[in-house]
Amino acid sequence: MSPLLFGRRAIRSLATPGAPDVSGGRSLWQDARGRFLRNRAAVTSLAVLVLLVLFVLFGDILAAWSNEEIDWAMLGNVAEEGGPSFANGHYFGVDELGRDLFARTVQGTGISLMVGVLGALVSMVVGTLYGAVAGYLGGAVDNVMMRIVDVLMAIPYMFVLIVFMVVFGRSILMLFVGIGLISWLDMARIARGQTLSIKNRDFVEAAVAIGVGPGKIILRHIIPNLLGVVVVYATLLVPSMIIYESFISFLGLGVQEPDTSLGALISDGAGQMQYGTLWQLLFPLFFFVTTLFAFFFVGDGLRDALDPKDR
Amino acid sequence: MIYYIARRLAVAVPTLLVLIIVSYVLMYTAPGGPFDTERTLPPEVMANLQRKYGLDEPLVVQIWRYVVSIVTEFDFGPSFQYTDQTVNDVIRQGFPVTLTYGAWAFVVAVLAGVSLGIAAAISHNSLLDYLCVGISIGAQVLPNFVLAPLLTLVFTLWLAWLPGGGWQGGHWSYVILPVIALSTSFMASIARMTRSSMLEALNADFIRTARAKGLPMRQIVVRHALKPTMLPVISYLGPTFVGMITGSVVIDVFFATGGIGQFFVNSALNRDYPVIMGITILAGALTIAFNLAVDLLYAWLDPRIRY
Repeated sequence: MSPLLFGRRAIRSLATPGAPDVSGGRSLWQDARGRFLRNRAAVTSLAVLVLLVLFVLFGDILAAWSNEEIDWAMLGNVAEEGGPSFANGHYFGVDELGRDLFARTVQGTGISLMVGVLGALVSMVVGTLYGAVAGYLGGAVDNVMMRIVDVLMAIPYMFVLIVFMVVFGRSILMLFVGIGLISWLDMARIARGQTLSIKNRDFVEAAVAIGVGPGKIILRHIIPNLLGVVVVYATLLVPSMIIYESFISFLGLGVQEPDTSLGALISDGAGQMQYGTLWQLLFPLFFFVTTLFAFFFVGDGLRDALDPKDR
Repeated sequence: MIYYIARRLAVAVPTLLVLIIVSYVLMYTAPGGPFDTERTLPPEVMANLQRKYGLDEPLVVQIWRYVVSIVTEFDFGPSFQYTDQTVNDVIRQGFPVTLTYGAWAFVVAVLAGVSLGIAAAISHNSLLDYLCVGISIGAQVLPNFVLAPLLTLVFTLWLAWLPGGGWQGGHWSYVILPVIALSTSFMASIARMTRSSMLEALNADFIRTARAKGLPMRQIVVRHALKPTMLPVISYLGPTFVGMITGSVVIDVFFATGGIGQFFVNSALNRDYPVIMGITILAGALTIAFNLAVDLLYAWLDPRIRY
């Protein structure tokens, strides 16, 4: 719940005397939900996301083959017989090694989603805490902390991330850590900016007056009021995390076999397309594009619903 | 203004140093070295090799020597993988290629993006406007590594108009696909940004004044609305540049142009530390220099900026 916005609403209705208070006693979040549900693109995208998650969770049950099993009957004539077919259980066809592409797409979508969501979560937690602390403490601490962010932001992150992957081994865990390490910078700036405007509010002053410590003020009073903006930005971060991950996996520097991600599948499919096995490119591509679209629209919907600035 | 430049440089130099130190420390702590092969070398030979390349000294000494040789002689050391080449040779070989299509992509992204955005804003809520918005939403989900295979599929495999890779000394037909693949997503972002900031500018009071006194639309746009419109676009040029440097890695690898990104990925796969570091530092230095240039341009264009 947001005391800040209650306060603002109260002030606004005082400012226009006689205006009927349309919103009644609804809270910020009820308001936001109403706005979100009215946004048709966002609601559709949310449904698509739910379907994608179900696809990832239960796709393995539908799949007739596992993602590592090689269909020896296909090997050598993938281009002629490996196409999508319900008869032999390869719904999306097979890849160039005769593995079932449906099972691999399920796995790749799962890993891409997981990297995206976990990466955004890491950046949300780290960035919010960092920005809130810098903004609340202010002065020299703020200056030093934000200069560090400036310096880190000026570094071409993708190169450093690749160096990181080379040094610490190419695994999903390292990918998480590497992406998470870089992605909190924007979040820190946003959180700091919001904190600066919140920390002079009456309720923070009241908390200071009754002797609440800075740590508790940040956790109890500042961060809950940041959440709206942070959640919006985190939703929009998920697709960029997915793009980072796929970028690196596309180059062969990300997740390694037998694990796969959408970027790695697109790369494999692109490498094979001159042999006419287009399904290997187009199925992963479809899932990639659909996932990104869904996250962008949900993020936009949330922003319209939650971000007071753009109303 | 001179103080401003000096202050920005005072931030830029430590940034580069941090970049060098971080990547050097990362490399130093890495398990496995450049001389690890399937056939294990005798320890004496290994020690000799390490001494030859100065890898047996303490970390601080190594970093110090590395920085000094870069600053004094512009020497990034020898490559571990391309036996007869130094890092400078590798950069000299790959960088012109990347620079060629990178510069084209940058120009295309900015010019096409700005024109599309302005056209969309002027004819607000028209078919052209919706087309522009549609393109910019679509391009969001088509990053370069998705667009590149699709372009090759259409223009190389189906239509057979353009070659799907290679460079051939920069013949125009080899440049087109890399440029489109690299520039499209940025063009879309720039178009979206230009459109919204042009719409905002066109609703401003001074534009209403200009209209009221009867100026033709063309003159209003070019003389009055364009400058405030360009400010957010200019501040987006920095991120565009970084994105293009990063994206060039994918383009180089996918189109096998022989550009710097191909060397970077090869070196990353083969633990060729000096080349990785050299390219990372080059990318960092370019980024910092470009951001500085953009900030100066911004300060020069917008008199409200205090520096």
